[in-house]
Amino acid sequence: MPNENPFQDPLRFERQVPECVIVIFGANGDLTKRKLLPALYRLAFDRRLAAGFAIVGISRTPMTDDDFREKMRASVEQFSEDTKLDNDVWAAFARGLYYVSGDIGDAGLYQRLGEKLGQIESERHTGGNVLFYLSTQPSQYAPISHGIGAAGLGKGTGWRRLVVEKPFGHDLASARELTDRLHEVFDETAVYRIDHYLGKETVQNILAFRFGNGIFEPLWNRRYVNHVQITGAEEIGVEGRGAYYQEAGALDDMIQNHLLQVMATIAMEPSASFRATSVRDERSKLLRSIRPMTADEVRQNAVAGQYGPARIGGKDVPGFRQEEGVDANSQTDTYAAVTFFVDNWRWAGVPFYVRTGKRLAKRVSEIAIQFNSAPLHLFNQDSGDAGVNLLILRIQPEEGISLKFLSKRPGSGMTLRPVSMDFNYGSSFGERSPSAYETLLLDAIVGDPTLYTRQDMVEASWSVVEPIQNAWRENKTDFPNYAAGSWGPAAADEMLARRGHVWRKP
Amino acid sequence: MSATVAPDAILKELAALFTQQGKEGDAGVLRACSMTLLVMAEAADDASALGETIAALMPEHPARTILIRLQGEGERALSQRVYQQCWKPFGQRQQICCEQIEITASDAALGDLPSVILPLAVPDLPVMLWCRSARLARRPEFGEIAGMATKVVMDSAAATDCADAIQRMADAVRRGGILADLAWTRLTRWRETLARVFENRDTLARLSEVDSVQVRFGPGYDTAAWYLAAWAANALATVGQTVTPAVGRQDESLRLELSGGAFRVSLSRQDDRLVTVVNEQSNCTNLPRPADYHLMREELGIVRRDAIFEETLASAARLAVSSSGQS
Repeated sequence: MPNENPFQDPLRFERQVPECVIVIFGANGDLTKRKLLPALYRLAFDRRLAAGFAIVGISRTPMTDDDFREKMRASVEQFSEDTKLDNDVWAAFARGLYYVSGDIGDAGLYQRLGEKLGQIESERHTGGNVLFYLSTQPSQYAPISHGIGAAGLGKGTGWRRLVVEKPFGHDLASARELTDRLHEVFDETAVYRIDHYLGKETVQNILAFRFGNGIFEPLWNRRYVNHVQITGAEEIGVEGRGAYYQEAGALDDMIQNHLLQVMATIAMEPSASFRATSVRDERSKLLRSIRPMTADEVRQNAVAGQYGPARIGGKDVPGFRQEEGVDANSQTDTYAAVTFFVDNWRWAGVPFYVRTGKRLAKRVSEIAIQFNSAPLHLFNQDSGDAGVNLLILRIQPEEGISLKFLSKRPGSGMTLRPVSMDFNYGSSFGERSPSAYETLLLDAIVGDPTLYTRQDMVEASWSVVEPIQNAWRENKTDFPNYAAGSWGPAAADEMLARRGHVWRKP
Repeated sequence: MSATVAPDAILKELAALFTQQGKEGDAGVLRACSMTLLVMAEAADDASALGETIAALMPEHPARTILIRLQGEGERALSQRVYQQCWKPFGQRQQICCEQIEITASDAALGDLPSVILPLAVPDLPVMLWCRSARLARRPEFGEIAGMATKVVMDSAAATDCADAIQRMADAVRRGGILADLAWTRLTRWRETLARVFENRDTLARLSEVDSVQVRFGPGYDTAAWYLAAWAANALATVGQTVTPAVGRQDESLRLELSGGAFRVSLSRQDDRLVTVVNEQSNCTNLPRPADYHLMREELGIVRRDAIFEETLASAARLAVSSSGQS
């Protein structure tokens, strides 16, 4: 019997997407309504899903299948950013939507789920493939996984996979404990830890940029790179999620996962192939090479911030402590800036400045790679800025790449000024880019974990972040220390100034 | 009609268009280009439909398009005009514009075209030649024009002598050219459907029973039939099964059948549907005839050798020879 299908043509055929059921725990939640259902509907709209595809929503609210379908239709209509609801496509998609209500601690819920999966299997021939998606409070991950296992749903005739949203624990010990609990039911190969940043086209484009081109990689090291700045800034505040955010903070919510993953993508060694294991091995290796800090080093290399009230564009904006559900004396960091060092031959001594925050001047995520200046200035420069050679990889908005370099100013004389050469990803290709959730959901269905976070990566990043957490817990900061709408606390500027650097104002 | 075209004047005109456009809009204009798309079409070819096809291709494959309009016989004539194709991506203020150059040439001026096209091609980017004229492909001037292209896209189904067209293409590939045939591109959905049938492990296990590949075809499906038969037989050969495909005529459309023992898989077109039968189980999917846009969208996405196509082309050319010998 042939092992491989001889009729496949990977150059031309769409990636094979198997039939499956996605079971969404937390189907009544914000993530399901805003991201998951619109992404799945768009995949259906683009005919990327198999004909037998089905979704089972699970939450405590009693609802019929039809009620759930109506609710999801409203979500898709409201939250699909660039896809109008097509009645025919929706009708076919909605036929695959089912609902089971119950409490995640109740064994009966999993029994009813098992019956529903059996019914769907006979109706839609899903091949026994099930993707469990945990879109719930993180504290419920382990109980749900246990419930799935106890009901015998963790194994079946087809594959079984589990997708979990961040945070993966709140420190190293809790991350390990969570992993152990999940592993009681699912092997590591079946656990997909989703980090939606990695699903963004532009983050994937970093790999294309670095490893698809020959001209940048020779410069990508300590000899030519002066420092790197990674920014994940948000203009908005906590938007009604104050109670949740108070428990997390900027360091845990953004740096431990998203931004360290971005840093790993920027700094990792080339992988031997684009297979999931190779790419993830290199990311993991890089994360393990980041130098953990002592308490003393944390004081020098990490800055916590919290925004205070301000007036922005004629509108009064509350400080974090004035937000609904937030403790008036909260010590939560809404801003974090950290200087990381990577202890390997490529990056030794190069500072990686990583910052994130709420209520900053604008919403922007980008990586700026500052190259060393020319060794000798032969010409007059309009700009006193010595670090003119800057490569900026913009993740959002206006995804693209800019290279800043010096050019002669028109006219007589030899005066130079910096110019920018821009590539705009969205505009150069007029085609729509899939959303991060579309990419990642499809990857999970086809069993490609390249863009998902592995256990060792999670542990490596907690190992780096935990000493900072501990130091910040032990030493209270005088919050608030930056005004809403600014670029963060002065201490963060001082942190860079100690090495003769300044934060970019993107 | 004028008899000369100055490439440097065309390039200046293009630059002026962009400068003008940049001054008019407040959000600026972005010049996008990932290739040179050289389209050669007869004057009788529907200009408006072709224009729409090119415009539809631009968002995914932004290109400098050089459209050569073939005027046929008559006195030597060569003329040009320049314009832009612009659009605004969803939710963005900035316009993206691609440039289009239209050159009209009589047969007597065909020999002048290479010297005009060469400086107009965007440096360092692939040149994709879409030859929509079967007549041009047989002219001696075509070789030099095709030689400038990274990839040449043709349509053997449009040729008056399909067997001759497919053999010419196979010869060109043997000489090292990168070619595509839209008659092959039209079969992607067919091939994908057959591949899906064998994604099922039980069905894949029965592949070893297959000892017959039969293709029946109606008018207009000659090359498609040769391709399907050759592809299926080649694929079977990769798993160690040698099957000599049988290709024969029927009243209409196209039908592929793989069979052996008690196992049978067939694919056939019925109007706008593709009917797949695996033993007694049949399945029907929507299969509208693909427009040129869909075919070219697929081909412009492949700027390298397509090993499966090239192997199939070589085998299909042999089938065409034996079929021609029989008829």
